[in-house]
Amino acid sequence: MDYTVTPLPVVVFADFICPYSYIALDQMEDLTRDYNVELLWRPHWLHPEVPPTGAAMPAQAAPEERRERTLAWLREMAPERAARMRFPDKLQFSLFAFEALEFAQDRGLVLPFKTAVFEALWIEGRDIGQFSTLQDAADKVGLDREELGRALSRQSYRNRVHDALQLARNAGVTKTPTFVLGSYRIAGWHYYEVFQTVMEKQGVPLRAVLGDPRAARER
Amino acid sequence: MGVEPPSYGPQQVLDEYIVEPASIPWRQGRIAGITFKCQILSDGADGGPEALRFRFDPSPSVFAHMHLTSQFQLLLHGRMDFPKSAMKLRGIAVHYTDHNLPYGPFAVADDHDMLVLHPKQGGLISMADHDARRQINLRGRQLHGAAADTEWIHLPGFENVRSKPLISPASGPYAVMIEYPPRAVVKLPHAPYGRYEVVLAGSAWVSGRELLAPGLRYVPGHKRVVSLEAGQDGATLMLLAFDQDAREGGLTGEGLSVAAAAAIERAI
Repeated sequence: MDYTVTPLPVVVFADFICPYSYIALDQMEDLTRDYNVELLWRPHWLHPEVPPTGAAMPAQAAPEERRERTLAWLREMAPERAARMRFPDKLQFSLFAFEALEFAQDRGLVLPFKTAVFEALWIEGRDIGQFSTLQDAADKVGLDREELGRALSRQSYRNRVHDALQLARNAGVTKTPTFVLGSYRIAGWHYYEVFQTVMEKQGVPLRAVLGDPRAARER
Repeated sequence: MGVEPPSYGPQQVLDEYIVEPASIPWRQGRIAGITFKCQILSDGADGGPEALRFRFDPSPSVFAHMHLTSQFQLLLHGRMDFPKSAMKLRGIAVHYTDHNLPYGPFAVADDHDMLVLHPKQGGLISMADHDARRQINLRGRQLHGAAADTEWIHLPGFENVRSKPLISPASGPYAVMIEYPPRAVVKLPHAPYGRYEVVLAGSAWVSGRELLAPGLRYVPGHKRVVSLEAGQDGATLMLLAFDQDAREGGLTGEGLSVAAAAAIERAI
């Protein structure tokens, strides 16, 4: 395959409620800037048992301690993101956000919209199980909030989301984020340099080498 | 002064390495704000095994790093939590990684005590090193198991012997805990890629020496395996066997391994 012409498909299976999926945003932005890839975000639902109103965090011996350890991990891996992150006090319901993602997909705005939803949860501390949160995210990226509200009320994308979730299960996805980069799969967050290695192994050239103006900077 | 610097020429590996930790001094260490005590059980300078014992002071975040060879961490006591995964180790527990496979950051607490066991010198590479990240083993395996989560199995044909496979032999590398009655003769199979045998409780006699917990023997690959004998109170052993990954990586004196050797030297 000539990846100077044809983009390498990169699929990210993720759930908005996963902090590790959130900190993968920067890496995927860098990847699309540096290489000729076609990025696709697909849902993998971590907690389908959670009702639309959300659920209490799983009972643990020391939830504060666990949160602190997760934050320590995030600070080392993504210090800028971690410094601004706000941890929700409950498990949130992801299904409406997955439906909204399909809505954005059909309107060519899935990539900025998914970022807006992640930031609503992890930066603004909002509940993505509420339509209003998703509609505000839609507003930010130029989607019609009223149209999205109607689509969510009518469950217009419910079947598509279920099909997408089944696709993730069929693909053997068990953790988020899971990245499929051409013939490589990376389960769980990883360093950007690992993605660079995978690109090189598959012969995907740097945009900068090709003189592509989309290569805003070299790493 | 830390471990002996690696020698890159032809080396003479012994038939077995026997270590009695009680006779080895502790030293204080500090790296990236983390403090610990350390014993160098076997320095690997002859091309043989590198075995270290660490007692980390409590820390919410031991930095992400990797080693250039296969590794077993045998957690004897305390806790190690890996926030990104479901790994929450409580001693006795085992954590295995292939060469060049990063892990962490992880938290340590509760009187941490751990053996770090390599088939050869592995060095230390912080994942803050961006160049090192390009040498991550993309197909590397990470395995773990805990004694508390594993049921005892009675071994057919061996009266009063029972075992716990913390990491199944089907995985490649394996970690199996075996309990022997007093004075039992322990005949172990060949270890084609090398195996550590650690006394967890009781004692074991080997080559005329009585090993108390956490004494250990390492048998390099393709060496003759001499039988052990359980002591008068029996012996509980942890067998930690490597597979073909043990032949990969190591301190070659080139590229990344120079930095890895220097980093472990500074740390301990």
